[in-house]
Amino acid sequence: MATTLHSLLDQLRETRAWKSVFRRGPARTNRTRSLAVFGNLFLHWMPVKVREKSLAVRASYYLGSISFLLFIALTITGILLMFYYHPAVPQAYRDMKDLRFVVSNGVFLRNAHRLAAQLMVLLVFLHMFHVFYRGGYKPPHEFNWVVGVILLLVTLFLSYTGYLLPWDQLAFWAITVGTNIMSAMPVIGGKLRFTLLGGNLVGENALLRFYVLHVVVLPLIAFLFIGIHFWRVQKDGGLTVRSKDDGKE
Amino acid sequence: MTEKNKIETGFGSDAKKNPQRIVFVTRKTSAKVTDDRGPLLMTYPHLLLREAIAAQILTVLVVLVALFWDAPLEQLANPLLTPNPAKAPWYFLGLQELLHYFPPFVAGVILPGLVVTALIVIPYFNVNIEGAPIWQRNPKQHFRNYLGVIIALTVLLALFDAWTVLAPTLLIGAVLIWSYFAKPEGSAPARYFRSRPLSWWLMTWFVFVAVILTLVGTFFRGPGWSWVWPWRAYGA
Amino acid sequence: MSDPKQQPHASESEQGHTAGAGKSRRDFLNEITLGALGIAGLGSTVVTYQFFSPNVLFEPSMTFRAGTPDLYPVNSVSFLQDQLVYIVRMTEGFYAVSAVCTHLGCITQWKPEADTIACPCHGSKFKRDGIKIEGPAPRPLPHFSVTLTPDGELLVDKLQTVKSTQVLKA
Repeated sequence: MATTLHSLLDQLRETRAWKSVFRRGPARTNRTRSLAVFGNLFLHWMPVKVREKSLAVRASYYLGSISFLLFIALTITGILLMFYYHPAVPQAYRDMKDLRFVVSNGVFLRNAHRLAAQLMVLLVFLHMFHVFYRGGYKPPHEFNWVVGVILLLVTLFLSYTGYLLPWDQLAFWAITVGTNIMSAMPVIGGKLRFTLLGGNLVGENALLRFYVLHVVVLPLIAFLFIGIHFWRVQKDGGLTVRSKDDGKE
Repeated sequence: MTEKNKIETGFGSDAKKNPQRIVFVTRKTSAKVTDDRGPLLMTYPHLLLREAIAAQILTVLVVLVALFWDAPLEQLANPLLTPNPAKAPWYFLGLQELLHYFPPFVAGVILPGLVVTALIVIPYFNVNIEGAPIWQRNPKQHFRNYLGVIIALTVLLALFDAWTVLAPTLLIGAVLIWSYFAKPEGSAPARYFRSRPLSWWLMTWFVFVAVILTLVGTFFRGPGWSWVWPWRAYGA
Repeated sequence: MSDPKQQPHASESEQGHTAGAGKSRRDFLNEITLGALGIAGLGSTVVTYQFFSPNVLFEPSMTFRAGTPDLYPVNSVSFLQDQLVYIVRMTEGFYAVSAVCTHLGCITQWKPEADTIACPCHGSKFKRDGIKIEGPAPRPLPHFSVTLTPDGELLVDKLQTVKSTQVLKA
């Protein structure tokens, strides 16, 4: 059974259609493995070879990778949730009830989205602390550290804008308190709050603005900076520890 | 001395007039072979398959937990009724706890602003880039400085009654002071703490205080932001 | 000693530093372009900020009528839910106190048994005239202007804060 499947697959791989998409053949030699990374749109920011030491769990605990994977999961679950959510008052709350009681697998989807969001904030903090304790911010990695701090702020802001969207008491008052803290900023505080909320109160304008920020603006900014972050890691030499006396290792 | 060759490429090297720096030996470096970074492996399959495994483990975990742990949904938003207590998301609860002691401008604008600025500036601070242990240089003078800072911080926090910040600060301060007096050949913890650089101590203090504040804000604060014991209050 | 062959290079004047004659045409055009781009950039920012600042708000009006004075018994505190204002009537007269806590914007509650206005968020407490008794609130609750309309109704203007000593005698 397995051999017929195997030979079927081999035959498939010989077809012209397949070869027009996957042009280099199976990645079984070092040459084809190099090309699989080098010639791939999604992977070519990676080097073709990596240091064996950098693959160890203790090197990074894969914290950065897991943060990124959570971001992908959030994007997917988020897009799915968008099909049933209207950013309007009070329809948003009714849609949350819909997702819970009416939509098939809605409750699971929302749970997964919220869980991944909390995990991502936690993981991003852990990643930052681990990079610090490992000395991964030292030259020439300074700029990447700053990009990382920007990503931390984007993550927090993403979580915060998403927090308002269910339009329940928890959401409404958390955002009320948060925007009031923001208005304590000198000179620009009041104006900033007014512009962010689209008014004096947390209302339908605020919900719509937070929705647009959460769903479009911040994810695009995040993708942009994630790209820079990954690129810089690889361009600066990858995850290898430079010397044994650097930080904790 | 210049080299004249048949092809006349004009390669000029006048070592006497323009001495070239070949290697720069500082006080701290010694002649040694730079650390071998180890063997190289092909990204595919070694890295990519590990990432795929991480993705699968993560998916399984998230799916399992999401199947059983429901996200909360309270009543419809009511601008006229403030729930008691009204809590921010968990990652801001540390900040909200700080707000209990300090005015909104300080706890909400200045302190977070300082924290973010400090984070960004970390790699550009050229102090102690080699990570020298905290008591290695001028131990007596440094000890006096750090003790002064700890005392000043204690007084400031006590003035504001910010004891949830004060307690972890005092704890870290106590460990720091103990590490100063501990013998360099002493127990493993003593040696460990003595080997940490100042940057490690600062970050550990910050992380410890942040974690304590977040835990307090999550579990130990009830209606009116009063102190509650989590085992006595129902729900957090 | 053979020197490297000299490459012919552009004459001095094209490099922007004519001897003693000031700026070159290239530099001048560069500066004008940068200036124009700067103005365009600044303009875009201002226009975008204006775009984001709503001109029409669908919120309840900040100036509202609160009924006739005889609706409020003497020495009473009445909470107007829609406007988040306490109408306080003392023997001396009327004043309107904001029900929004000055700490972080939570809605306070009037507790008649304790004769205090209490905020549930962080435990701030105020007297019925808005003066703070305890809690992290930085300021007392502001008073809004209360006037009498020609047809005898109370008119509260939330856009106008007044001193706490000011009362409407009615």
